[in-house]
Amino acid sequence: MGKPDAELDKERRAFIKKVLNGAIAGSLLLVIPMPIGAATEEIPEQIPGIRGKKWDMSHQRFAFIVDITRCIGCGSCCVADRREFNVPDGYYRTWVERYLKDFESEVYVDSPHGGFDGYQSPRTDVEVEVRDTFFVPKLCNMCKEPPCVQVCPVGATFKTPDGFILVDPKRCVGCAYCIQACPYSARYLDPVTRTAEKCTWCYHRVRKGLLPACVNVCPTGARKFGDLNDKNSEVYKLLHEHEVLTVLKKDMGTYPALYYKGLRREVV
Amino acid sequence: MKSTYNSHIKRIVLGLVVFAVLGFVGKIVLTPKSFGKYGPYRADAIDEEANREIRHMTNASCLTCHPHEANIHLTGLHKTISCEFCHGPYADHIKDGKVYGKLPVKKKEEIKVMCLRCHNKAIQARPGEVIKTIVMPAHLEEQKVKVSHTCDQCHQVHAPLKYINRAKKIVGIKEKN
Repeated sequence: MGKPDAELDKERRAFIKKVLNGAIAGSLLLVIPMPIGAATEEIPEQIPGIRGKKWDMSHQRFAFIVDITRCIGCGSCCVADRREFNVPDGYYRTWVERYLKDFESEVYVDSPHGGFDGYQSPRTDVEVEVRDTFFVPKLCNMCKEPPCVQVCPVGATFKTPDGFILVDPKRCVGCAYCIQACPYSARYLDPVTRTAEKCTWCYHRVRKGLLPACVNVCPTGARKFGDLNDKNSEVYKLLHEHEVLTVLKKDMGTYPALYYKGLRREVV
Repeated sequence: MKSTYNSHIKRIVLGLVVFAVLGFVGKIVLTPKSFGKYGPYRADAIDEEANREIRHMTNASCLTCHPHEANIHLTGLHKTISCEFCHGPYADHIKDGKVYGKLPVKKKEEIKVMCLRCHNKAIQARPGEVIKTIVMPAHLEEQKVKVSHTCDQCHQVHAPLKYINRAKKIVGIKEKN
């Protein structure tokens, strides 16, 4: 009896409390499912300065650069694109063409399955001596003056203030005017929804600070994407270097935001 | 109604008024809510497109949960290759932060097909300074291995020169270039 015992009791109680608390907390941790690094916020930003800010549509000016000299025609971009958007078989938002040039400057182009399976074998159907051959990835050019937007009778395809050309599937009536108007054949009519579809430069990813799916998977860095208003971005540097950058079908006056590095004049 | 000298005008005016009212009401009813906010289109469609499901994540997102693979993948020549290209999209594996499905791991012949997508020298269009290419049975003969070998028997698929460099170190072969 007396003081020492009471003190011991107190200590014992505190000890048991601590242990129990720890055990309960520990078991709770096991029971509550912890998210596995899933949220987009935890993944490092690929395009700096986007996340956590309110999207200001007038703030960015995006550009896409395809480096022909680095494309190895592996078709990763086509695979990623198809999986990202569940594109039905036989339709392409992006594709890779193979160009073949002989000594008479005759040009042969093919794109089996849009490059989706990669290029597993050399071309056998043309028997010419090859002078030059290269791959050209194609996608939406995101024109500054888009012909597809002009021809849409219901306002279903439009240019957002931040420069992306998108399709509103709820308004599209599937008249396919835009498919005919596009000089780059970047559009198709979805066989399921019967609405026009096209490459969006992965608008949903870009708005969350991620690179477009095709840029993300490209193993050689042949596809580059970035903000021209950000002076530290790769595209800004490339565009301000003494590199030959060309756009497709310049004479159409569409002013594409898709540039090609090292493009030969045979490519249309 | 008894015809008067101006009844035809009244009828026309009434018709026009009805037409205008119907048109006006129809325009209000049929125009989508956010139409015309930025231009002649539905402004809400921008946010709808922006909220589309992200199916591919980045290598960083895969490697946070697979540290063993990260150790190998990030040290090799294949570090620029996306995990999801060979294994499939993130969304087929993780849903709402929980493991939802198993992604396939490529085996044997599939690996060979995968390798040759990039490393086949027979496709002349591949720029040589970007990637090392080989001709297929010839490479196996040159290295004095069976022609039935698959690529992954010598090359760790995540870091292709891992085993080879280690073997060279043990045997003491200097890198020849």
